[in-house]
Amino acid sequence: MSKLNATDIQGFVLRGYNFPLARHLFLRITGPESGRALVDALLPLITTGQRWDQGAKPLSTVNIGFTHKGLAALDLPLATLISFPVEFQQGMRSRAEILGDRGRNAPENWDALWRDNEVHVWLGVNAQTAPAMESACSRLQELVEQSGGAVLLGSQDAGMLIIDGQPTTREHFGFTDGFGNPDYLGVERTSQPGQGKLMPDGSWAPLATGELLLGYADEAGELPVAPIPHLLASNGTFMIFRKLHQNVATYRAYLEEWGARYSGGKQKLASKLIGRWQDGTPVELSPERPDPSLVKDQTRNTNFTFSEDAAGARCPIGAHVRRVNPRDAFGFKGRLINRRRITRRGLPYGPYVPEDQPVSDAAEHGVAMMVLNASISRQFEFVQQQWIEYGNDAHLGNDKDPLMGNHGGEGRFLVQGDTTASNPPFVCSNLPSFVELRGGDYFFLPSITALGMIALELVDPR
Amino acid sequence: MANQNGTMYGLTILSPIIDDDKAVPSHDLQIRAYLASLPTDRQSPFAQAPGTHLARLVVMDDVIYVGMPSCEEHLKSKYLVFESNIDATGESGLDRYLTGLAQHSGTHIDAIWSHCVGYPGASEIPAFLRYMKACQLTTTFYFAAVNNKNLQQTQRALQTQRAVADFIASHQGLAAAQTQAAFNQFLQQLDAMPLPPAGEPHVVRAIKTGGKNE
Repeated sequence: MSKLNATDIQGFVLRGYNFPLARHLFLRITGPESGRALVDALLPLITTGQRWDQGAKPLSTVNIGFTHKGLAALDLPLATLISFPVEFQQGMRSRAEILGDRGRNAPENWDALWRDNEVHVWLGVNAQTAPAMESACSRLQELVEQSGGAVLLGSQDAGMLIIDGQPTTREHFGFTDGFGNPDYLGVERTSQPGQGKLMPDGSWAPLATGELLLGYADEAGELPVAPIPHLLASNGTFMIFRKLHQNVATYRAYLEEWGARYSGGKQKLASKLIGRWQDGTPVELSPERPDPSLVKDQTRNTNFTFSEDAAGARCPIGAHVRRVNPRDAFGFKGRLINRRRITRRGLPYGPYVPEDQPVSDAAEHGVAMMVLNASISRQFEFVQQQWIEYGNDAHLGNDKDPLMGNHGGEGRFLVQGDTTASNPPFVCSNLPSFVELRGGDYFFLPSITALGMIALELVDPR
Repeated sequence: MANQNGTMYGLTILSPIIDDDKAVPSHDLQIRAYLASLPTDRQSPFAQAPGTHLARLVVMDDVIYVGMPSCEEHLKSKYLVFESNIDATGESGLDRYLTGLAQHSGTHIDAIWSHCVGYPGASEIPAFLRYMKACQLTTTFYFAAVNNKNLQQTQRALQTQRAVADFIASHQGLAAAQTQAAFNQFLQQLDAMPLPPAGEPHVVRAIKTGGKNE
C-alpha cells in the first residue's frame, strides 16, 4: 500500500500535534446557507496532514468536525444523513445506557453546554503559544460573526500541565500520558514496537488503514460502514469527544488510605491500578520500580505483551492499560483485539495542583479526551462497554476499570500479586469514581475534499 | 460421547412449526410473541425446572440467501430450536429432566410447543417424552463455560467465590489470630448460607446489554 494523500486528510487525524495549548470551540449552525458559507470560509484554515518541513511548523492549527445534527443543519441530503452509522446519528447522549454513563455521569448531570444538546460543530485549535492561540481564535470568531452562519455556544481550554514551570506530558493524577497510539498502514509517523498489531512471529506491524480512516480496508478486509457518497466518507473518520473530570482530591485520599495498607506503598499501588509507574515505566516490564532509561527507550517503552503474565503477577489483569489494550492477554497471539483499537488525542484542562497542596474535587480538573476510529460502535463503544465498564473478557466478573470505571463507591480492584513478600495479593474495595463524565458527543471529521463538498453544496448521494 | 460430557448433558431439540396459511398470526409469529414475553429470571420456566444450566429458544425461519457465489437453499419447514445444557446422565437422566420440565413448567411448554407439528402436550408424560426425544438432535457442542459440576455445585461454587472475595476484602491486614477467628466464623456462616434460586442474578448490571456488542 502506498502512502496516503496526507493533504486531503485533516492533520489532527494523522498525528497529535504535541502543542502545549488547545482550545475547543463548539458552535451551533443557525442556517444552512450561511452555515455552508462559514465552512467555505474556514476551509483554507484547516490544517491538513501534510508534513511540516524544518522550520515550517505553524504557530497554531485548526481542525473541524460535525455532529449528525450539525450535518442536518447544513442541509445535507436526507439519503446521505440516514446512511451514517446509527450510533453517530443518535449521538453520545442517546448511547448513555450502553456506555454505562449513568448516575453522576448521566447526560442530565453534564455541563450546560452538553446538557442542552445543541452542539453542531467542533473547531479544535492547537497552538504553540498563548498569543498564537488568541490570534487564531479571534480570527475564527471573526469568520463566524461575518458569515452569520453559526453561534459560539461555548469553549473548552486544555493544555499540557505545567509542573515546576515546565510543560509536561502528565495528567492530574501525576501520570505520564499518551503512550502507545496504534500505527496504521500508510500513515507516516515515527513508530515504535508495540504500537501496531502483534504478528505471529512476535513482531509488530501497522493496523489496516480502515481501522482509522473511512474508505479503506479494515482488519477484516472490509470497508468500514460509511455514509454515501463514497467521496464524502473517504479520508474522513469519527471522533468521540469526552470531557472527563478528574476527582483529584478523592484520588489522592484513596491512594493515601489504601496505599498505607498495601505493603508496597502508595506509588506502587498506583502503578498497579494504571499498569504504568508515574513516569510512564510499564509495570509489565519493571514491576518493582520505575526505570527512567526504559521510559526513554522507544524500542522498549510500548514493547511488551501479557501472555507470559497470565496470572497478573506483574501487571494486574484489571490494570487500566491492560484493560483498554489487552495486547495478547486473551490468547490467539493478540488477534482478538485488532478490531478494537482506538487512537487517542487530548490534553488535560485545569491547573496542576502539586501533591503537597490542598485540592478539591469540585475544581475544574480533567482531560478533554478525544478518540478517533472508523467505527464508533465496534471500537470506542466496545472498549467503553466491555473493557472499561465490565470485566468478563478478562475473567474479572463485574469489576470495572479501576481508573475510568463508573464505580460510585462500590468498585473493587484486585492486585493479583504472587507469593513473594514484596508483591502480595491485595484487594482495593469501595472504589469511588476517580473520573467522571461531564459531556461530549460524536463528531464526523471529513476529508478536505468532503469539507469542500459540504461548503459548495455538492454532496450528492445518487 | 455425543450429548454427554461427564454429568453434563447437551440437549438440542428441533421441532417443526405448524405451517397453516389460515392461522393468523402464523404459528411461528405466535411462538415469537410468546418467547418475547417469557421471563428470563427465576420465573423462567427453565429456571423452575430442576437441573437447567442454560437454555435458549430460537425460531428458525429459513436459510437466508446471501448472494453469489452461494447457492439458494430452503428449509422444508420453520423450526423451533431448543438448546440447553442440563444435569442428566444417559437416557434415564434425560427422561428425569424432561419429566421435571413437564411437571414444573408444563403451561409454558405447552404454550410454546403447541404450535409445533405433532406435539402431544405435557400432561401425558410418556407421549411428551417420546415426542421430545423424537425431535432431539445429537450434539457434541456445549456452552463454553461448562465443567463437570451439577447446577447446585456450580451455584454453590459461585456463591463461595463471592463470599470469600468479600471476606478477603473486608479482613485483609488483620492480625493472623483475628483473621483465623473471623474465618472460622465465616465458614460456619457459609455452610448455613441458603442457595439462591436458579435464575437469580447476583448483580444486576447497570448497563444496557444484549446489543450487537455482546
